[in-house]
Amino acid sequence: MAVWRRHFGPDGPTVGRKLGDMSWGLVALVLLTAGLGFAMLYSAAGGDMRPWAMAQTIRFVLGLALMITIALVDIRLLHRVSYVAYGAALLLLVAVDLKGSIGMGAQRWIAIDLPGLRFQLQPSEIMKIALVLALARYFHGLPPERTGKWTGLLAPLALIAAPVALVLRQPDFGTAALIVAGGVAVMFLAGIALRWFAGGLAVALVSLPAVWVSLHGYQKERLLTFLDPSRDPLGAGWNITQSKIALGSGGVFGKGFLEGTQSHLHFLPERHTDFIFTMLAEELGMAGALLLILLYLSIVAYGFGVAVRSGSQFGRLLAMGVAFAFFLYVFVNIAMVTGLIPVVGVPLPLVSYGGTAMLTLMAGFGLLASVHVHRDVPVARQSGGGPL
Amino acid sequence: MSDAAAMSDIVDTAPATDRRAGSRERPATLRLEGAVKQAADLCRARMVVLAACFVAAFAIVGGRLVEVMTAPDAPGAVLSDSGMALPAGRADVVDRNGVLLATTLPAASLYAEPRRVLDAAETARALAAVLPGVDLAGLERDLAGDRGFVWIKRGLTPGQQAEIHALGLPGVAFRREGRRVYPQGALTSHLVGFTDIDRRGLAGAERALEADLQARAAEDGAPLALSLDVRFQQVVREELAATIETFKALGGTGIVLDARTGEIMAMVSLPDFDPNRAGEADVDARFNRATLGVYELGSVFKVFTAGMALDAGLVDLASGYDASAPLRVARYTIRDYKPKNRWLSLPEILVYSSNIGAALMALDVGAARQQEFLRRVGLMTPSGVELPEVGQPIYPSTWREINTMTIGFGHGLAVTPIQTASAFAAMVNGGMLHRPTVLRWRSERPPPGTRVISEETSATLRLLTHLVVEYGSGRKARVAEYQIGGKTGTAEKLDPAGGYAEDRLLSSFVAAFPIDDPRYVILVSIDEPQGIEESFGYATGGWTAAPTVGRIISRIGPLAGLAPRGGVLANLPAARGDADERLEAILAAFSAR
Repeated sequence: MAVWRRHFGPDGPTVGRKLGDMSWGLVALVLLTAGLGFAMLYSAAGGDMRPWAMAQTIRFVLGLALMITIALVDIRLLHRVSYVAYGAALLLLVAVDLKGSIGMGAQRWIAIDLPGLRFQLQPSEIMKIALVLALARYFHGLPPERTGKWTGLLAPLALIAAPVALVLRQPDFGTAALIVAGGVAVMFLAGIALRWFAGGLAVALVSLPAVWVSLHGYQKERLLTFLDPSRDPLGAGWNITQSKIALGSGGVFGKGFLEGTQSHLHFLPERHTDFIFTMLAEELGMAGALLLILLYLSIVAYGFGVAVRSGSQFGRLLAMGVAFAFFLYVFVNIAMVTGLIPVVGVPLPLVSYGGTAMLTLMAGFGLLASVHVHRDVPVARQSGGGPL
Repeated sequence: MSDAAAMSDIVDTAPATDRRAGSRERPATLRLEGAVKQAADLCRARMVVLAACFVAAFAIVGGRLVEVMTAPDAPGAVLSDSGMALPAGRADVVDRNGVLLATTLPAASLYAEPRRVLDAAETARALAAVLPGVDLAGLERDLAGDRGFVWIKRGLTPGQQAEIHALGLPGVAFRREGRRVYPQGALTSHLVGFTDIDRRGLAGAERALEADLQARAAEDGAPLALSLDVRFQQVVREELAATIETFKALGGTGIVLDARTGEIMAMVSLPDFDPNRAGEADVDARFNRATLGVYELGSVFKVFTAGMALDAGLVDLASGYDASAPLRVARYTIRDYKPKNRWLSLPEILVYSSNIGAALMALDVGAARQQEFLRRVGLMTPSGVELPEVGQPIYPSTWREINTMTIGFGHGLAVTPIQTASAFAAMVNGGMLHRPTVLRWRSERPPPGTRVISEETSATLRLLTHLVVEYGSGRKARVAEYQIGGKTGTAEKLDPAGGYAEDRLLSSFVAAFPIDDPRYVILVSIDEPQGIEESFGYATGGWTAAPTVGRIISRIGPLAGLAPRGGVLANLPAARGDADERLEAILAAFSAR
C-alpha cells in the first residue's frame, strides 16, 4: 500500500464502494443490446445457437467480466499504463504487418491458439481504444498553455499517424479512417485551436487526388458504386441493393422473428456480420430498428454523462473518446447498410458476430465505467517514476 | 474515499502538483490552476458540441432508415418509363417460375461517319470524356480516316446517350439497337449462356434455343421458360462455392435434376463468369463442367454395377463376393480403400465401397452385358441435353477383362456429370430413364421415358443407397429433415506425366431425396479439394461433396414444398441400437430372407 501511495497519492474508493457505485445502468443497456444481437445471430443461423449465437454469448460473458474488472481498476493506474497499452497495440500491428509481408498475403489478424481458447486477434480494433487512452494521457499532462501551440500538436499527430500508416498497409482504409476520426475527436475535445482543424481540412481536401490514385481497384469501385448504385447493380452494387430490398420489405413491424426471407434465403450477404442490421430491420421492422438505435443513443448519452461528471481531464477525454469510438461504429454501419455512405467493413457493435470487436468494445465500456467510478479521484499531471 | 479526493471538487491536478512542485513559487501554481479550470471548461463546451453532432447523426440515420423502409417499390417504375419500344428479334428467357434470366433492353449504339466529322481530335476528346475505357488514340485515327461508317460504342447507357446528344457533334449519330442483358449475372452463366453483340447466341441455351427464341419474338413475344429454378440455382451455387473455398479446390459442379422428368432444376459450374461481360471471361470460367467436362467419377459407378447385377438376377441382398485379399489381374492390383479383408455381402460392398467386390460383381456380369447396360442408361453416348456444350464419353476401344473390372468401380470410363446424374435418377426413380433437359416440362404427367431396370431393382437400389448414407461413406450428407440415398466417389485424376495422381482428386457425391419416393437427384463434384484440419486431412467425396449435398437438400427441400418427415423405406428392416448394431441387424435380416 505504501508503494501505491508513493506512486498515486491518496487511496481511491474501496472495492466494495466501487461495486456499489458501478455503472449498472450502462451494464443494463449493454445487456439489452447484446441480447438483441444474440437473438439475431440465432435467427441468422436459421434458428440455431450454432454456429454464431452460442460463441457470441460466451464472448459476451467474457467481455462482461473484463468490463467489470477494468471498471474496478483505479483510474490512476489506467493513466499510468496508457502508453504501455498503446505501445503494445502498436507492436501487435507491426507483428501483423511483418507476418503479412512474410508471404501470408493481406492479413488483419493474428491467430491465437491457446488450449481451450481459439480466436483471431485484430490489433487494429485494440488500437482504437489504446489510441484514445494514449491521447487522453498526453493532453492530461500537457500544460494548458501549450495546447494552443503547434508544439503541442506534434506528439498527438505522431501517435495517430503511426497506427494509421500500419493499418493502411494492411490495407484497411475504413479502419484507418475510423482511427483518424477517433484521434481527431480527442484532440478537438482537448482544446486544440479551431484554426488547426480548418488547416487540417484544407490539407485533406488538397490531398484527395493523391489518395484516389493510391486506392486499390476494389476501393475505387466501391466509391464509384456508392455515388451511382445503378452503375453495377449486380456486381459491386449487389450488397447495397439487396440490403435496401430487405430493409424495404421489413415494413413497420417486420416480418417476424426468424421470418426474414431476404436474409434466410441467403440473398443478403454477410448477414451475421456487417449486414446484420438489415436482417434485424427485415424481421423486427422499423420499430425494432429504431429501438436498437435508441439503445445505442442511450449508451452514447451515458458515455457523455460520465465524461461531463468526471473530475479529471484524463477521465473526460477517455470517456468521451470511448463514447465517440462507439458512436462511430454505430453510425458508419447503419449509414452503410442504408446506403448513406459507401460499403466499408465495419461491424455493428455488440450485435455483429465477431470476437475482437466485442472484447475491445467491452474493455472500452470498462474504461467508461472506471471513469464513472473514479470520477472524484484526482489524477496527477505526470505519473511518478517507478517500476511501471 | 480519502480526504484529499473528497476535497478536490473538479480541480483535478492540484494535490499532485502541490506535492511535486512544492518548491515552486506560489503564483505559478495559481496561474496553473486557473488554466486547468479553463481547459476543463473548454473541454466540456466542446463535448456539448460533439454531443450535438451525435444527436444530429442519429437523427440522420434514423430518418434515413424510415425513408428506406417506407419507400414504395421503385424498380418497376424505373424500368417501365424508358419510353423506347423493345426491339424485336429475340424473346426473353425466364426460369420455371417466370423469373427473368435474359432479356433485351433498348439501347442506342454510337457510330460515326468520319467523312462528315469536322475536327477528329476535338470530337475524339469530347467522346472519350463521356465513354470510359475508349481508346482515345484509336478513336481519333478512326474519325480522321476516310471510311463511310465506323462503330464507336455499342450499347450505350441512356445517360451516356443524353450526354453525347448534348455535345451536338457533327458526324456522329445513334442507331437504336437491342442489348441482351442477364439480370441474374454469373448465377446462370453456363446454363443460359450469352450472345454476341449482334444478339446471336454463342453459348448455352441462348445458342441451343436460337431458333425458338427468334420464332417466339416473331410470333407473340412470349418468354421461353427453362426448367431451371433460380432459387435452387442460388442455393447450389452458394454451397458449392463455399465448399470450393473451404477445401481450396480448383472448381466444381453441382446439378439438381427432377428425378421424375429429367428437368434440370439447377446446374452450376465453378468458376463461372458474368454473361453480361462474357468476352472478358477466361476459357476456364466459360467451360461448363456439368455437360462438357468428362471425368472418371469413381465409386459412384458401383450403383450402376449393382443395378446391372441385380437386374440380371446375378445377386441379391444376401449374396456377396470374397474381398479378403487384393485382386491381381494381369499387371494390376485392385485394392480396397478401407479393406475389411473378408467376404462382403452386396449391401456391404456399397456401404464400405469395396473396389474388389464391385470388380468381381462386374466380372460376373461380363463385358458384353456391362456395355449393353451402360449404353442403355446413356453413359456411352453424349447426353441428350439441348445445350451445345456436350462432352463425348471416353471408354476403352478394346474392352478387356481388366476394363470390365475397373469400370465396375468407376475407373477407365469418363463421362459427363449430367449424364451420371440422369442415369442415377433412372436407378432410383423406378427404373425410367429421362433425357436431361433445360426446358420446362409443362404437363402434370411425367414425360415418356425408357425403362432401363425393373421397378424391383430400383427399389433395392433405393434401399442400398440409403444404407450408404445412413451407415457408410455418405454419412456426412445426412440431414434431419429428409431421408436420403446416395453414393460417394473419389477418383484420382490422370497425371499428365502418366498414371494416376494420388493427391489430385475428383471427389463426388450423387444422391436422391426423399429416398422413399425420389423427387430430386443432386450431384456435386469437387475438383482437387485439399484436405484440411477440420476434415482430418481427408479430401474424399464423403468429406467434401457429401456434406455439400446435405446442405443443398436441407435448403431446397422447403423451397420445393416437401414436408420434412422421416419417410421410411418399405423394404428397410427395423433395427435398434447404435449405428453398428443397427447395420448388423439389417444385414442379418437380409441374409435370413
